[in-house]
Amino acid sequence: MLGHLKQALSASIGKKAWMAVSGLLLVGFLVTHLAGNLLYFADDDGSIFNAYAEALSSNPLLPIAELILATLFLAHIALGVRVSMENRAAREVPYHAKAAHGGRTTASRSMMITGLIVLIFLIIHILDFRLDPKAHDDMAGAVQAKLSSGRGALTYGVGVAALGLHLSHAIASAFHTLGLNHPKYDSILQTAGRGLAVVIALGFLAFPIYIYFSGGAA
Amino acid sequence: MKLTLQIWRQPSAEADGNFEIYTVGGVSEDMSFLEMIDQLNRQIVLDGGEPVAFDHDCREGICGMCSMVINGEVHGPIKGTTTCQLHMRSFKDGAKIVIEPFRAKAFPVVKDLAVDRSAFDAIITAGGFITSRTGSAPDGNAILVPKEDADQAMDAAACIGCGGCVAACPNAAAMLFTAAKVTHLGSLPQGQPERRARALSMVQEMDSQGFGNCTNERECEAACPKEISVMTIAQMNRDYLRASIAGDEA
Ligand code: HEM
Ligand code: FES
Repeated sequence: MLGHLKQALSASIGKKAWMAVSGLLLVGFLVTHLAGNLLYFADDDGSIFNAYAEALSSNPLLPIAELILATLFLAHIALGVRVSMENRAAREVPYHAKAAHGGRTTASRSMMITGLIVLIFLIIHILDFRLDPKAHDDMAGAVQAKLSSGRGALTYGVGVAALGLHLSHAIASAFHTLGLNHPKYDSILQTAGRGLAVVIALGFLAFPIYIYFSGGAA
Repeated sequence: MKLTLQIWRQPSAEADGNFEIYTVGGVSEDMSFLEMIDQLNRQIVLDGGEPVAFDHDCREGICGMCSMVINGEVHGPIKGTTTCQLHMRSFKDGAKIVIEPFRAKAFPVVKDLAVDRSAFDAIITAGGFITSRTGSAPDGNAILVPKEDADQAMDAAACIGCGGCVAACPNAAAMLFTAAKVTHLGSLPQGQPERRARALSMVQEMDSQGFGNCTNERECEAACPKEISVMTIAQMNRDYLRASIAGDEA
């Protein structure tokens, strides 16, 4: 059984399958995170949003959820780095003349870069809100203070844009990796994957854009 | 036509290589790319030099030997063709053409443009077969095959094992080749007994040969001279994961 698990983690398709599963679960988290955040836009001086934030941080199950999330991230990142390093090693001598054959996209060729930007952004984001005790007194106010500054808005804009680009390749790719694709629905899968990436990216981008340009009065 | 060629020269597997520049004249646009190199080699030999080594055999697009990367494109600029099927009319008179060997750790250069693709043989040996009864020839139509399955198997079987997918893949992965074989045999009733073990053992062999991991960039499909679809890769992933989850033995 253990040998079996080890094999699944060393085999190419095994590693990719774990990346796909962890990535898709993270996408599931993003969707719920976005849905909760959108309460910020309720026309009530941020009280629903603050109540939501308060309910989350006082939930006794939160540490378990956070542990699961952290594990998913670490697994995804560790496998991503390993896969990329192995892939680099698989071609020792690069081509002198470089040309694409028509399969790659900007998103697909920059998965490692967008992933790393997301990681840096994530650390900043956790420091800003999760680990800042002051933020928890008035979460809506903290969000407004952070994103109404040019620097804050730009940081969040770039982080979320990188996430959007990462996901625009990642979602369909993950299904393909798990074997869940077929000529009959490949084009639907590609469109749906990009569509969900755009929805997630635009949803999160709404915060820095709206708050920066309105000065934050929700 | 007159052309300037920048070609990778490497005397042996162990030796260091470098690019050499050649000019070749008197090229007809009806020549194939390989005939153009024949012409260059004739010129080199007459000048007392060592001809450029390159792999070729059938020269009609069915054997898969003619490996080379032309201006960064596997088998050159025309979709769905091998190098031997590429004609010089696809290039402009006076063009400068960079010619390199396939680059992958699992495909070491033997000499100049010729690379060793025995890693593919190892993958085939690991599972590219079916078991069948010996003795008298079976009745032709004893096993019925649904049309859709036959088509899918036939499309996958078009793979000529050239290695262009590996050469084009940003990760030097061998997924399209392996998937074509797994899909070809796994789509037919005759290939069912070994179906799951085949996916496991061929993928294990592929990994141990030092190919990269697939990131679904689809460069392989775009470069494949036989236009094998990456949907075969989804099929192989499915077979592999199913076998893996069930704890099958390779
Ligand atoms: C935090 C740093 C991150 C890094 C370093 C990273 C890195 C990578 C890399 C290198 C790939 C492989 C490219 C490929 O297989 O096509 C990948 C794929 C993927 N990533 Fe990320 N990523 C990160 C964050 C995320 C996040 C936050 C999500 C989702 C919310 C995500 C979801 C996915 C998915 C679904 C795939 C597709 C897996 C597959 O193709 O099999 N990643 N990631
Ligand atoms: S020489 Fe046989 S396919 Fe080109």
